[in-house]
Amino acid sequence: MVPFAWIILVSILLFALGAIALITRRNAVAALMGVELMLNAANLNFVAAWRYYYPDHLDAQVAVLLVITIAAAEAAVGLAIILNLYRRFGTVDLDQIRLMRG
Amino acid sequence: MTWADLPALYPMLIPAATAVLLLLTLTVRRDARLAAGVAMAGFIAGLLALAASAAELSHPVTMLLTVDRFAVVFWGILLFAGLLVSVFAVGYFRTLREPREEFYLLWLLAVVGAMVMAASAHFAAFFLGLELLSVSLYVLIAYPRMQSRAVEAGVKYLILAGASSAFVLFGMALTYAATGTLTFAELFTHLTLFPGDVLLLGGVVMILVGVGFKLALVPFHFWTPDVYEGAPLPVTAAVATVSKGAAFALLTRLLLGVIQAQPGHSTLAVIFTLLALASMIVGNLLALAQGNLKRLLAYSSIANMGYALTAFIAGGDAARVAIPYFFAGYIVAVLAAFGVMTQLSTPEHELQEVEDYRGLAWRYPWSAALLTVALLSLAGIPLTAGFLGKFFVLTAGMAAGRWTLVVTLVLTSGLGLYYYLRVITALYQAPLEGEQPTPPPLHLPHRLSVLTGLALAVLAALLLLLGVYPSPVLHLLAWP
Repeated sequence: MVPFAWIILVSILLFALGAIALITRRNAVAALMGVELMLNAANLNFVAAWRYYYPDHLDAQVAVLLVITIAAAEAAVGLAIILNLYRRFGTVDLDQIRLMRG
Repeated sequence: MTWADLPALYPMLIPAATAVLLLLTLTVRRDARLAAGVAMAGFIAGLLALAASAAELSHPVTMLLTVDRFAVVFWGILLFAGLLVSVFAVGYFRTLREPREEFYLLWLLAVVGAMVMAASAHFAAFFLGLELLSVSLYVLIAYPRMQSRAVEAGVKYLILAGASSAFVLFGMALTYAATGTLTFAELFTHLTLFPGDVLLLGGVVMILVGVGFKLALVPFHFWTPDVYEGAPLPVTAAVATVSKGAAFALLTRLLLGVIQAQPGHSTLAVIFTLLALASMIVGNLLALAQGNLKRLLAYSSIANMGYALTAFIAGGDAARVAIPYFFAGYIVAVLAAFGVMTQLSTPEHELQEVEDYRGLAWRYPWSAALLTVALLSLAGIPLTAGFLGKFFVLTAGMAAGRWTLVVTLVLTSGLGLYYYLRVITALYQAPLEGEQPTPPPLHLPHRLSVLTGLALAVLAALLLLLGVYPSPVLHLLAWP
């Protein structure tokens, strides 16, 4: 079987990719996708930890189901707000939306 | 869980049930006043039910929640803030032309989420509460959907809070991989037994990033001024009180024991000390040059979280009294300040600049007086709640010998005095006549309702009462 450390490494990589997407992409929807990627990196970590170390406990599986549900709710609310952002500003480019600074 | 456990959860279950009831009511009759009334009734019923929880303290309800004295005290603070924010929202949103019923629904849910966080004993409860609070706040911040600033603030909060939740979750996954448990108690055991475990420590630090974001600790504070400025005033008050109170209660639950059990300069203690120092210094320095009262209060809240963290790092029994007392004083003062601002604003036209408040005392002496007391309390002047809160924090810090933090707290508080006094002087200056032909319009958009007047009076009384007569509250806080 693949060593556990590799899976942790992949999940850290996935998390970093999500974070990079969040920082570099100026499109609000793409930034939200970065957040989803970060959440899924955590899920991968949970599942791997369950499979390798604690196969007798169901904690991790329940946690993953919980996260999937919550991420869906968050995406739904987030997209609604971004839709409204588009209606107000005519764009979803985060660089162009700067009414407040100081 | 048995039926016998149920009464302990009433203060949380009642607002949750009220949210469902409100949802059903709205399908039959859409009426903003009715919606606000139902929400307030829910909060009041929750506050009354605290007596039932307080009757049987310190017992775990399932493995997810612990209802102890700490939880009950924070529930009381959160429900009180929930009630007052809904009172302020009624007057503030009166001129909003869009539907305003859902505001109260979302606000009930946000407070329930905060209460879950304050009582959680398990990562699942922590995450569920955090997300219930965050997702409700996204919508609440962007609630006046015709106001571009509110929508901008909502999107900023959405993306950054989403990222911070991901950090929390990844941290949970790492700690789970290291320990095989999701309960706080087991985490405590592992952290004290293996303080050097990289995976575990990495997980805890990532959770700290998320909590630090919610508390707006430096360097996770960048969202704060923009969100404070853009969000509608009652929601700004909510972000400053309920969201921070819940996050700090959670932090105390999760790590106070660990900080105490470990030797003085463990990795975690050093991280927390750096966060506290940075928050106190940066928060106060950035507030100095701020001309916008909402942004000024944002920076002031950053500094205040640094003060609270000082008590947290000190640990010990003193901290267990100092943290809730400090928060009670902080939340009452912030609610009073935002309450006054709410009464002078509408969603379309908010009074935000310090200049807008010039000469307020000559038109609305009572509002100006309350705002003065609130700012003095935030500055920590004697006879106000803020002074005693800071006093207990300092006592805790000195008892633990955290001198760097104590000295920084005292010095930066002196700095803070300057910008609070700048606002207070503006309140009592005569309105500008020569330079500007017409001074900025200071008009009450609507007459003060009896309910709001009562709420503001209660806040004023509490500010002074907590400042001069602390013994009933201290009695309440005596740790079990």
